[in-house]
Amino acid sequence: MKRHPVILVAAAIVATLAAVHTMGCGASRSARSLAAEKVYVAPGELDKYYGFLSGGQSGSVFVVGVPSGRLIREIPVFEPRAAYGYAMNDSDPRRQELVATGGVWGDTHHPILSETNGMPDGKYLWINDLANGRLGRIRLDYFETDRILKIPNLQGAHGIAVVSPNTKYIVVNGEFEQPTDGLVTNPAPYTSVVAFVDPDSMEVKFEVRVDGNIDIADTSKDGRFAFSTVYNLEQGRDMGSMIQYDRDALAAIDIPAAEKAVAAGRGQVRNGVPILDPEQNPGLLTLIPVPKNPHGANVTPDGRYVIASGKLSPTVTIIDAHTLKIAAEPEVGLGPLHTTFDDRGNAFTSLFLDSQVVKWNIDKAVKGAPDYIVDRIDIHYNIGHLQAVGGDHMHPSGDYLLALNKLSKDQYIPVGPDLPENQEIIDISGEKMKMLASFPTPPEPHDATFMAVSVLKPLVHQTYTPAADAVEAGKERVVRTAPNEVTVDMTLIRSAYTPDSVQVREGDRVTLKVTNVETIRDMIHGFALPDHNLNIALAPGYTKTITFDAGRPGVYWYYCTNFCSALHLEMRGRMVVQPKDSTITLPDWHAAANVQGQVVPGVPSTGARQ
Amino acid sequence: MKARVLYVAAAALVAAALAFPLWGFAMAAPQYPDETLHLEVTRTGIAGDVHEVSILQHFIGVRFPTELPELRWATGAIVALAALLLLAAFTGATMFGRVYRILCAVALLAFLTASALVVQARLYQVGHERDPSAPIRSLHDFTPPLVGPVKVGNFTVWSFPHIGGVLLVTAAALSVAGSRRAAA
Repeated sequence: MKRHPVILVAAAIVATLAAVHTMGCGASRSARSLAAEKVYVAPGELDKYYGFLSGGQSGSVFVVGVPSGRLIREIPVFEPRAAYGYAMNDSDPRRQELVATGGVWGDTHHPILSETNGMPDGKYLWINDLANGRLGRIRLDYFETDRILKIPNLQGAHGIAVVSPNTKYIVVNGEFEQPTDGLVTNPAPYTSVVAFVDPDSMEVKFEVRVDGNIDIADTSKDGRFAFSTVYNLEQGRDMGSMIQYDRDALAAIDIPAAEKAVAAGRGQVRNGVPILDPEQNPGLLTLIPVPKNPHGANVTPDGRYVIASGKLSPTVTIIDAHTLKIAAEPEVGLGPLHTTFDDRGNAFTSLFLDSQVVKWNIDKAVKGAPDYIVDRIDIHYNIGHLQAVGGDHMHPSGDYLLALNKLSKDQYIPVGPDLPENQEIIDISGEKMKMLASFPTPPEPHDATFMAVSVLKPLVHQTYTPAADAVEAGKERVVRTAPNEVTVDMTLIRSAYTPDSVQVREGDRVTLKVTNVETIRDMIHGFALPDHNLNIALAPGYTKTITFDAGRPGVYWYYCTNFCSALHLEMRGRMVVQPKDSTITLPDWHAAANVQGQVVPGVPSTGARQ
Repeated sequence: MKARVLYVAAAALVAAALAFPLWGFAMAAPQYPDETLHLEVTRTGIAGDVHEVSILQHFIGVRFPTELPELRWATGAIVALAALLLLAAFTGATMFGRVYRILCAVALLAFLTASALVVQARLYQVGHERDPSAPIRSLHDFTPPLVGPVKVGNFTVWSFPHIGGVLLVTAAALSVAGSRRAAA
């Protein structure tokens, strides 16, 4: 039989296509497994870095493991969080601070770590609340918010930075300009301030007046200058008038000069804070002209340059961090927003419009070499901040870079119109960048910073040392302290509340001090009180005091919300609210109901029953 | 080696045993990664992760012994044995001396045997005389061995002589060796 040439040719084409397809698959499979290996952290193994991501309008900080991208913890700061029992009750000092300083909501943008010798020391993390002009501080030994500070004379606390290398101040930039004299009756020009906050006392030591919108902050590594990008030098009140000038500025505040001026009494005190006016203090403020409406300000790890990212201009402006002279202004791509660094003299700039990260060599760019662009990688999509591990400190590790993207579009299974935020982990250890993995988060991380697990982990406590006022097992009590006030001292332990019955009267105000007397890690207990809008959580050793109105007559079962033991579901107790005119006592009630308030056998049931 | 040296050493070890835990328990379970729970029986009572273990045991109705009266007796016996052993070092090469030394070794061995029996009895009690109203009643009775592991629910419990126990056993070996020597 004669073979048909068309069939032969067709067969050859199919065979070739199949071979190419198979080879292609093999190649991409191995690239995938290589990438997977770089970010795979097996169950039970630990990540290499703590990643701290601002929670944006969630008002919190997300703690993410790097390189796995696993969300490990959310630290609530400016918003109450029932699950953690954070700021849930009027007697909670954090809630009191929040209410007193602008409300129980915040918009966090920039997490920054306390530094010793230019490296994070694991003491504190600060985070701004842009919406309400506040600064929150998180203790890293317990991963909990310990102070909320309202910055006076400032609206829109945006860029913040630690004054390197030893955390002399926290710099807070006021983005939204205000009438110069703080009054709305005066048509005088608006202005903003940069606030300098003491890291330990959390007091604002002084402020420096800067006209325009003060944006992103960083500091020179020697503690001399606080740098900020400033846009809208036009002082326009609408968008059209904010983008008229060709150049805005990178502002450099001379910190020692400011301290001298404050010491000499040259500050004008408003709301208890001395404000320095650069016009009356020559040398205090230097404005370096950069293309209009710049965004990021980032100091190189060696402290040599500060780099302003062009945003509306496709350039970055490289400025000598000592002489404040412009060294170069290379083009990098469309929409440069922020810059970070590896340990080999390279910078990485986020390109919002190009949806890319561009890697460029700093020395080559400064020297004007044509080949300063090293690599580009596509991002999904519209990258805002980016941060290489350690890129914001003196010794970057040069291994991973996190891209924090504004849009995720097609990257995750659709979940309705409100799509998750997208973060991408990129390998920067080689010449070419490699996309490794992505992970979504709730809204909306802006910026991130990192700490080596080897440094921070030994400093982290996993149980609390009981406070001086902790309730001790055996010393629980229910006491009527006033005609309409009842105080309850309570302990929690697997699997009981002591006391497990509390009798109060309608109209009472109840003060409950409760201590989790567990000593083993992760044995967290909750205290939820139905129909009282109340849930708190207590880690081992922790004591919380809450106050609430007894509410309407009835029996309310308080119960454990944090799954603890085999008897978790049985872990509860009763608050009996009797009508105002009732004369029945709790033992009577017990007898009537034929249930003794029996505590689980073996659990110390020494709580005094009143 | 001379019997005198052996007996002085035995007496010292017996006395030293009082400064250390006599018996120990290690409890491992999946939800206690790298935090195995430990209990130590010292001459004054039970020490270690008492708080955590007492929380756990109520689930299975194990009654944690709050008082161990035999420890007072044991302490007295140990002090006495140390004194007797020290004397044995100086009883000389007479027949009386030899007999005395043998009796000392026998006394120490008898003490150890009696202690082992008491401990084993206590361990039996722990696994058998449980609270019938315990939350978890499906668990079968158990007897932790004197030395070695036993599975109790999700826990593997190891019992073993602690430093004090090891010192006592070593002292017994030395005194036996000493009693076999003719000269002091």
